[in-house]
Amino acid sequence: MKKQGRGIATIMFGFGYGEGFPDHAIASAEIEEGGKILIRTAAADVGQGVLTIITQIAAEVLKVKPEAIRIIPGDTHLTKNSGSSSATRQTFFTGNAVKEASEGLLSNIYHYASIEFRSNHVELGIKDGYIFRNDNPKNKLSYWELAERVKERGDSLKAEASFFPRTDIPDPKTGQGKKVYVAYTFVTQVIEVEVDTDTGIVEVLNVYTAADIGKAINPKNVEGQIEGGTVQGIGMALMEEQVIKEGITLNPDLTSYLIPTSMDTPHFATLLVENEDSEGPFGAKGIGEPATIATTPAIANAIYDAIGVRIYHLPITPEKILKALKEENKRGNKEGF
Amino acid sequence: MSKLTIGFIINGQKKTIETTTSTRLLDLIRDDLHLTGTKEGCGKGECGACTVIMNGELVASCLILATQSDGAVITTIEGIGDNECLDPVQEAFIETGAVQCGFCTPGMILAAKKMLEENPHPDEEEIKRGISGNLCRCTGYQKIIDAIKLAANRLSSKNGGRSEKDD
Repeated sequence: MKKQGRGIATIMFGFGYGEGFPDHAIASAEIEEGGKILIRTAAADVGQGVLTIITQIAAEVLKVKPEAIRIIPGDTHLTKNSGSSSATRQTFFTGNAVKEASEGLLSNIYHYASIEFRSNHVELGIKDGYIFRNDNPKNKLSYWELAERVKERGDSLKAEASFFPRTDIPDPKTGQGKKVYVAYTFVTQVIEVEVDTDTGIVEVLNVYTAADIGKAINPKNVEGQIEGGTVQGIGMALMEEQVIKEGITLNPDLTSYLIPTSMDTPHFATLLVENEDSEGPFGAKGIGEPATIATTPAIANAIYDAIGVRIYHLPITPEKILKALKEENKRGNKEGF
Repeated sequence: MSKLTIGFIINGQKKTIETTTSTRLLDLIRDDLHLTGTKEGCGKGECGACTVIMNGELVASCLILATQSDGAVITTIEGIGDNECLDPVQEAFIETGAVQCGFCTPGMILAAKKMLEENPHPDEEEIKRGISGNLCRCTGYQKIIDAIKLAANRLSSKNGGRSEKDD
């Protein structure tokens, strides 16, 4: 018989290293020849999209099209430390460093343009990579023309910034601290499953996600992180199990250690909650790891809702479900149901 | 290890190359022809990262000996499109956000191409089945499925077939 059930789970996730670690990121922004603005950062894009995010941030701050941004990523010779792509930290840390470096560059653009135009920065306007006096917008200088003038003065149009927030070491006795992490991401998932009580096979039908991520700098990217994280959570809930015996992994391949395929993908509906309530760039918070955490408990709850039996050991394989149903049945018979 | 010379057509180009009887097609493609778009994932035909099209069939190039490709017609990801002229499937992958780390993408796109050739109007279940031999750890597959739907709609309206909205 096929039985359907619905489960819910909510998680909170403090991201960045936190706990008093000297976690930080450095980035720089400079006007370079050839009509580009160069951003340097060591942030590693392993597919999560940090380079897309910082391109958007730099373009937004400097009021240019994203195409005008060029990035040198992760070159020990040419970039400074941006910290690891881990702990769900790159959008927050490197995003902030790039935002501050871009703001520093923008300040320098205003500074030198006010000298060129013999004007005060508040009387200057900026649009599409040009700076001008508001009372005479036709007489404008591009960032790159301005950079040439600045070079003649023996200086250059660039800025470097680091983002280095303070966090507190939690009290070893109570685990409490004033600011243990830079911010927290919250995710709630409601998941609907169908359990086949003859085979024990669980199908994940629908996943409804609400994620409080402060600000989705790239909503498609955030959705991609949530969908990917959720399907990893489905793997953890239903199939992924490393079998180790005397230090040897007995299932070191993808036919005996199963991960989800396209056939296991559920229907997704995702709501992004954007309260811009963190110190991240434009209020953004991290979503990498938080995306995967709620899925497994929500599925376990949904299975309980469907069949009335709670399974406490992951993964919840068909064998475990059939065994649990059989035991429940026996207990039921004994009690005379 | 005995050496021998084989010939085949790869991405529309005739090639004659010396290889050994124990060389895998995957290594011939990557190391000898320097077509590094084809990836090695598991190396045992489970993950689909090394997928190429050989004589009209999707194959795991890690399971094929180079010598078996003598006389064959092979298409790798490099034969689908390039930076100047992307295939509609590649364009759809970019637009929908179907690429994260990118390691599964070449095999995924070849599987999608092959499926759309055989079935130009797949429904969601058919798309899922069509790429079920290609594993992806990043995306959760949804954006890949969306990309293939988008490509199918565009290709069918371009080919004067059933026209659907691109959404």
